[in-house]
This record gives sequence, C-alpha cells and structure tokens, in this order.
Amino acid sequence: MADKLIELVTAKRKLVYWGLLILTLVFVAQLPGIQIDTDPENMLPQDNPQREFHNQTKTRFSMHDMVVVGVVNPDGIYNPKTLSHLVSLTEFATGIEGVVQADLMSLANVDNIDQQEPGTIRFEWMMKTVPQTDEQAREIRDKAERLPLLYNTLVSGDGQAAALYVPITDKNQSYAIAQQLRSKISELDSQDEWHITGLPVAEDRFGYEMFVQMGISAPLAGLTIFILLWVFFRNIPFIIAPMIVAMATVLITMGLLIGMGFTVHIMSSMIAIFLMPIAVVDSVHILSEFADRYKPGDEVKKVLKEVMGHLFTPMLFTSITSTVGFLSLMITPIPPVQIFGAFVGFGIMLAYLLTVIFVPAYLSGLSEKTLLNLTQKLPDESQSKLAPALVRLGRLAGSHAKLWLAGFIALFALAVWGISQIQINDNPVRWFKADHELRIADRVLNEHFAGTYDAYLVMQQQGDASADVKALLAEIADSEELSQNTANWLLQQQQQFDASSSLSTLISAIYDKGFELDMDESDRLTELALELEKLESQSKAFLNPAVLNYMSGLQQHLKDSGLVGKSNSLSDIVKTVNRELRSGEDKDFALPDTANGVSQTLLQYQSSHRPQDLWHFVTPDYRQSLIWLQLTSGDNKDMTAVVALVKDYIAANPLPDGLQTDWAGKAYLNVVWQQQMVEGMLDSLVSAFVIVMLMMMLLFRSVSFGILAMLPLTLTITLIYGLIGWIGKDYDMPIAVLSALTLGLSVDFAIHFIERFRATWAKQQNWQQSLKLMFEEPARAISRNAIVIAMGFTPLLFAPLVPYITVGVFLASIMAISALVTLVMLPSVMALTRKWLFGSDK
Amino acid sequence: MKLPYKWLLPLSLLLSPLAQSQQVDVQDIVKRAELAAYYAGDDGRSAARMLITDAQGRKQMRQFVILRKDREDGGSQDMMVFFSRPADVRDTVFRVVKNTDRDDDRWLYLPGLDLVKRISAGDKRTSFVGSHFFYEDVSGRSTSQDNFSLLEETDKQYVLEANPKDPGSVEFTRYQVSIDKATMLPVKIDFFDSKGDNYRRVEALKTEEIQGYPTVTHSRVQDLRSGGETEMQFRFISYDLGLPDDVFSERSLRNPPRDWLELRD
Repeated sequence: MADKLIELVTAKRKLVYWGLLILTLVFVAQLPGIQIDTDPENMLPQDNPQREFHNQTKTRFSMHDMVVVGVVNPDGIYNPKTLSHLVSLTEFATGIEGVVQADLMSLANVDNIDQQEPGTIRFEWMMKTVPQTDEQAREIRDKAERLPLLYNTLVSGDGQAAALYVPITDKNQSYAIAQQLRSKISELDSQDEWHITGLPVAEDRFGYEMFVQMGISAPLAGLTIFILLWVFFRNIPFIIAPMIVAMATVLITMGLLIGMGFTVHIMSSMIAIFLMPIAVVDSVHILSEFADRYKPGDEVKKVLKEVMGHLFTPMLFTSITSTVGFLSLMITPIPPVQIFGAFVGFGIMLAYLLTVIFVPAYLSGLSEKTLLNLTQKLPDESQSKLAPALVRLGRLAGSHAKLWLAGFIALFALAVWGISQIQINDNPVRWFKADHELRIADRVLNEHFAGTYDAYLVMQQQGDASADVKALLAEIADSEELSQNTANWLLQQQQQFDASSSLSTLISAIYDKGFELDMDESDRLTELALELEKLESQSKAFLNPAVLNYMSGLQQHLKDSGLVGKSNSLSDIVKTVNRELRSGEDKDFALPDTANGVSQTLLQYQSSHRPQDLWHFVTPDYRQSLIWLQLTSGDNKDMTAVVALVKDYIAANPLPDGLQTDWAGKAYLNVVWQQQMVEGMLDSLVSAFVIVMLMMMLLFRSVSFGILAMLPLTLTITLIYGLIGWIGKDYDMPIAVLSALTLGLSVDFAIHFIERFRATWAKQQNWQQSLKLMFEEPARAISRNAIVIAMGFTPLLFAPLVPYITVGVFLASIMAISALVTLVMLPSVMALTRKWLFGSDK
Repeated sequence: MKLPYKWLLPLSLLLSPLAQSQQVDVQDIVKRAELAAYYAGDDGRSAARMLITDAQGRKQMRQFVILRKDREDGGSQDMMVFFSRPADVRDTVFRVVKNTDRDDDRWLYLPGLDLVKRISAGDKRTSFVGSHFFYEDVSGRSTSQDNFSLLEETDKQYVLEANPKDPGSVEFTRYQVSIDKATMLPVKIDFFDSKGDNYRRVEALKTEEIQGYPTVTHSRVQDLRSGGETEMQFRFISYDLGLPDDVFSERSLRNPPRDWLELRD
C-alpha cells in the first residue's frame, strides 16, 4: 500500500503540486466570506427552549440590547456640570440613528412623580432644564432617590455615578454608536470619568479581538514551529514540506468552514492554531526517519518506501485517535463546540492525507545537494541536552518500578480529590483580560450600581378563560328572555370567539348590540357584558394585590439574601405611584387593597411622559409579568445560587394559584449553556475514551496493551483537572473543551512508545537492553513531538482574550506532562507486568 | 449692475401691506379652526372608545363619556371625562377647567382608592391614560402658545406651520397643521423633531355633520418612530343639551350625573 502510494506520488509529482495549489486556492477564495459570531447566546442552539423563551421574553417586554454609558465623579454627580453633560449626552444619544429613542433611559429623560403640594399629584421630567446651582442639583438627588426604579439603576446609591442606557435596534451598529458617544463625550470637556460598556459593545470588541488572535497567534504558531523544525533539521528546503502541509491544512479547513456558511465563533477561531502543530507532527516523523536513514547516494524513492512502510499505520492510528478526540466534541449540545470538533477532526485527517501524499512527492523532488546538506548539517542528537536527560530518565523509570507506581497511585488519588473540589463557573465578561477597558468599566459600574448583569424571573398566568366565556354565551343564548335574532347573534359571537385576548372586543360588541335592541333585551345583554367583564378582570392576574404582594415578598427575600443587587417589579411601580397619590410618605409605600385600585394606580402611571415603560414589567393583558434582577456579578455560580434561592422560596411559599415561573436574561442563559456543556463534556470524554481504548486494543491486537496505552493519559487528564481543583481555577468553557481533545492527542505518545518497545523487544528479547534502547532514539522522537505540539500552542499566551490563554497554557502543559508520564509510567508498569505482557526473557 | 438703494424702498413699501394681510389671515384661520375643533355648540356630549395599539400590535381599550360646557366661546371651558371601561377603571373621572389666561385646573377621582386628587399644573404633553394622545390633544392646545404662518393654500386646505413660543416646554420643534376649508377643522397635524423628522401624526379619519356642526368622529394618533398608534371613535354625539353647571363640580367626581351619561335616548 505504502509502496504503491510512493510510486504514484513520485511519478506524478507535478500533479500533486498543482493539485494541492489549486485545492488550496479554491478554499482560500472562500475566506473573504468570513462571518464573525460573538453572541454568547449562540452557545445554545437556536431552538433551545430556554433560549427561545428568553427571546420571547425580550419581545414581550419590549427589551432591547443596550449600550451602557456610566459617568463617575468621586465628589458626586449631583453638580450642575456633570448633570448638564448628562443632559447633553442624552440629547445627543436620542438623535443617533439606530437608537430606540422611546426606551432610552437616563436621569435626563425620565419622569419624576411627586406631589408639588399636598393633595396634588404631578408627573414632570426629572430634569426639565439643567440645574444651575448645587442646590438645584441636590434637589434632583432627593427626587431620584425616592424612586425605586431609578435608584441604584440610573443613579448610584453613593451618589457618585449615573448611567445612561442606550437601547439599539441592531447590535451590528453598536460599534458605530459607541464611537459616536465617545466622540461626543470627548467634546464635553468633562472632568468626570466616563465608561462605555454593555453586551453589544462587549460582543463587538470580542469579535475584534478574535480577529487579532487569528491574525497574530496563528502566524506566530507557524513561526514557532518553523524555528523548532529548523533546530531539529537545520535545512530550510527540507522543513518547507511540513510548513506547506500545515498551511494548506489550515487554509483548506477554514475555507471549507466559511464556504459551508458556518460562522466563526470563539471556538472555531482557534481551529488554525490547533491544526498548525498537529498537522506537522506526522511530517516530523517522516522527516526524522528519512534523515536518519538517508545516506548519500541512496535512492530517495527506496528510502521513502522504507520510511513510509514503517510509519504508514502508526501515523494513521495516531491521526484517527486525535480525530476521535475532536469529533467526540460533537456529542456536546453546544453548536460552536460541535463545529470546532468537526472541523479540527476533518483537518487532522486532511493533514494526514496531505502528509502521506505531498511530503514524499516533495522529498523525491529535492536535489542531491540539498539532501547532502541535510545529512551533513543534521545535529548529532546524542550531543544535545535532551539525550542524556532522557537516558537518565530511562534509568530512573526502569529501576524503581514499585515506587513509581505507588507514586502514580498517590498522585491519582490526590487528583481525584482535587477534581471533587472543582468549581464550575464561567463569566463571558472575564474572557477579556483584567486590564481591558470593558473589564474596568464593568468593575467600576458594578461597584457603584446595584449591578449590570440582568436576569428576569418571568411569571405567567396559566389557563384561559375561553371555555368559561363560551359556556356563558351559550347559556344566555339559550335563555328565553332573548329574541331568536339576538340569541342567534350571540351564538354566532360564541363561535367566532377564539381566545381570551379578544374578550374585550366581544364585550364591546355586546354593549354595542344593546343599543340596537329594546330596553329589556338590552338590559339582559348588559348583565351578560358585566359577567364577561368579571371573567376579564379575573384573567388579569397581575392587577391582583395578592399576586403583587407575593412578588414583593420574593423580592425582599432576594434582597435579604445579599445575592442580588436589586430587583424591580410591577409591585414597586404600583407602590411608588400609590405613595404619591396618598400622603407621599413612606408609610404609604404600599399596595392598594383591590385590583381596581391597582389598575387605577397604573392608569396614573401611564399618564406620564413614558407610558410605555409599564410594558417592560407587565404585558398589556396583565397575564405575564417579571421581576428584573440586577446582579453585580456575571459569574454563573452566583446566578446558579439565585436560581436555587428562588426555587427554595417558591417551594416554601407556594405561588399564587395558576401562576408559573420561568427564567430569562443573559445571566441565566449563560448558566444554561454551562450546565449543558459540563454534562455534554462528560459524555464526550467517556465516549472518546472508550473509542480510543477499543482502537488501541485493535492496533496492538491485545486487550492488556490497549488498557496499558490508556494509563498515561488517564493519569495526565486526571492530574490536570485535579490541579484545576487544587488551585481553585474555575472550570469554564475552555477548560471543559480541553478534556476530550487532549485524550486524542496524548495517546499518540503511548502508541509510539508501545509500538517501538514491542519492536525492540522482539529484536532484543532482553528487558534491560530494550529499555535502554527505548530511551535513545524513540524517546527523543516522542519528546520532540511533545515539544512541537506544546510549543505550537504557546503563541496563544500572547492572545488578547483569556480563553485563548487558558487553552494555550493547559494544552502546552498537558502535552508536556503527558509525554513525561508516558515515558516514566509505561516502563514501570510494564516492568511489573512484564511476565504477563511479554513472557519471560530468553 | 448695481441696484440703487432707493429702488428698494418703494418695493418694500409695496410688499409690507401684503405681508401684514397674510398675518391677519393666519390668525383668523387659527382662531376659526380652534372654535370649530373645540367649541362646537354651547355644550356637548360624546361617547369615546379608544383603541391603543402598541408597536407589537397588542391592543388596549378605553371607553369614556366626555361632557363639555363652554363658559364663553373660544374662552374657558368645563370638561368632565367619565371612564366606563375596562371594568377595573370604571367610574374613574377627570375634571378639567380649561383656562385661557393660565394653566388648566385638573382633578381626578379614583374610585378604587376612594381618592380625589388635584393634578398639579404643569406639563400637559404627557400621555392621556396610556394612549398616544396627550392631555393637550384632548382639551386643546392653546393657540396663543405657538406662532403660526401659512405654508400653503390649496383648493381644499390651509397648511400652517406652527413654531412654539417656548421651545423648552415642548418635545417638538415645529408642527404642520392642515385645516379643511369647508369645515375649518384641523384634519392632520404632523410634528417634527429637532432633526426635522416627522415623528408624530394626529389625523381626523372621519368627519360628520352633527346638529349642523362639523364634527370629527374618528381620529388617530400615530407614533411614527415606534409604530404604535391610538384610534379614537366618537359616538352618541350631541350638542346644546343644556348641561347644568353643577354637572361640572367636584361633587360629580364621586357622584356621576347618571342622567347625562345615559346614552340611550
């Protein structure tokens, strides 16, 4: 097979070159169509029920993506200058194209409700005109701090900060809008500190940083690998081959991904840097062996046949195991992770194909002179620092097998304990580095305000009054007091009636009909209309004081827990307006006794400049409402704690009849996809483990060798995750993704080691001698590969986003530890089980 | 060629009477339109049904009866608004005394809270019970608050432009009102913001003659920015009923004058 391949590719060398070039160009042509996806929501599939519910909630309660502007003045923002800047910026913001003017919120465009004099009520702009004196500015403070919806949301409790919430229609415009705001702020000549943040801004920055990462880290990885290869082989034309394989693999894979219409998400933006080192590994094997075997005057084709005959199968297996590790990511329910797994998996197989086709063709085309150079300049490996170290390592590994094994078992136990300490937590804002302007804005605003992370506890009334309405209509139509015509008309209405949402229309129609009829019939219809109105009123659950009172109770509980910065609800609105309708004093910050009282209070609230604000808290049919929770932390663990708290509260204090709750909000969605990922990753890890183990048994045609091959990586992965538990690093998205894929990568070392050991053993039939030989060339090859992969990932350390850095650090250390563990563990375990594995020495 | 200054003088003399007569015309149009729109008959009654539609197409309904009595034509007015639906705001009442020389007086009765409340003088460009109409659209914006000029005159309409005398007190920069020549009723008002965008439109959709008075029976306000709108239909309209003064008293807030609110003949 390998021979035929060599014959073919060396004979059709030109065809191979041109084929690869054209193939690469075809896919490179797809690259300009790149679409960046930075929406954390896309961690969940489009049809995920929680995600769908979240978006329904957004629509139902007229919520938009917000750009948040914060102004901070340590001496207090209630001074004429700061307030006038706030007014200017608010006016400017309302004029920006793409801003939802009606829902823009700032101290400068909200209403104050108060009593100008006892016995009166008044709605007026909070800041009709800019305050001219400190006195007037202080009055603004007094007013704002009396309004629970504003306090700690638009103005901070400490009086040092104010916020401007700028809702936008399309988040693709967030950058342009933020830029306009920035330039306006710089024109203001303000001494205050201004921050611009908000999810759309963060997403935009994130997309930008992703480009930076792809533009810098991937080429850097290429350069690192190039330098490493040069150190190994000292011959530029020779090492061009793996570089071409790596480049072509990356370009074709990314071109395919983009050409197939997939968006580039944070995960897929790492494809290039993953493929680069993995793609050269096979070539490194070929080059190593070729360089070792080629002597001046040899026929290149013959040497190639020998080399390929040797490597064809192990390379295939290592490629397949790596692919399996990545493909197992497709088991997770997170689409970006699935796409990442699928395309890296594809890329590895592609790299294998390109390696076995292109590299032999390329080598056979090298001139005699180049090859001569190669053999002369090739550094003597036995003189390097690596070689004696490995020999020493070999001696250590072989001599204290029992001690080593006890050590490994102890380490494993410690690691398992460490894993039990793992804290699952993530926070997309922390994907930016700590000194990033968005992290700073996030920190500052959350210090001053009740929190910039939103979650919504949505409450819905279940059931529908339709059946009752229809029954009532049928009953009245049946009564003898109505004429046949009227009865028929009623029955017709009954048939047309479909949902309680049209109840109001039905009632209007019945009243109107009454005017056409005589007094008696009309009275009968009025009675019917009144009955229907009762049903209508009953269906408006969120006018019911008992329901609002329940919400207040829950809000108080949330507040007492300290987990929530602040919560806002319809209940707060009703109480505020009611207070101003009555004495204006704190004692009247209470709910009216009746649903009619609540409804009339809200009628007043709607008589302001911003009647639409009501619909952020309740739907116009009063059957759905929400409690808006502001959290100062975007950590999933904190949101998880809030969810648990609410669940316990509802268990202890049953919801009013017919109500049901559900969560929405970005903070909650993050928790959802995190949970799915943790569970999904476990599945993918287990399945990858099983598949790789079966492949090992197949490769070695032995169950025990199959299990043996799995031991080093089992310890490595356990150790790495134990370490995460020990040092208290949060188990987050990048960490989760690493588990399954490192499995596929690190098993390579075991494959090579066992394969070579068995070959050596077959030749030597002497344990000590075999072991000694293993720590010469084979151990060097394994170490060299480990170094290439580990070093290949180090450019990620310079990436602008934290998940990239995490991936870089952990992959590099996993590769290093895994190689080391393989080299020490396999000899010691084999030493203890050698009779069973190999039979006795001859 | 240089135009001698002395030529300009007779030209400007020629123009000035024209300009002046136009000024008089505009004021007259405005006055007549105000009378037609808000002062038909000595008193009047109508049942209004308001349908508020938000940008998502969700609807809310309000139904009320308006009683009105002029103290003098074009001058002060008494007005009462009695809510009947939705049922949970039934018997809520507004009382308005419209003044020409100072801010209107406004009171409110909320039966669910058993509360009579005076609404402080101040901004009247706030929402009327959650609709897209403002208080000012219901009671009438005093024509003395704006400067008018004639933009266009067609066979059927006068189109006037109004600029607020106190721009700080309103959310618009200017508005444009079309007045039907036959009825002198304003049939369309377009409001413009500082960027020159037309963001709000008030329109008469249907006009009928009732007891000899041209009357708008169906009107609509559109929020052209968000897409929400409110339609208001008037029925059972009658004028010159001889409404007694005590109907327009504080007492009527808690004790609605049922006889005058009965819509059946």
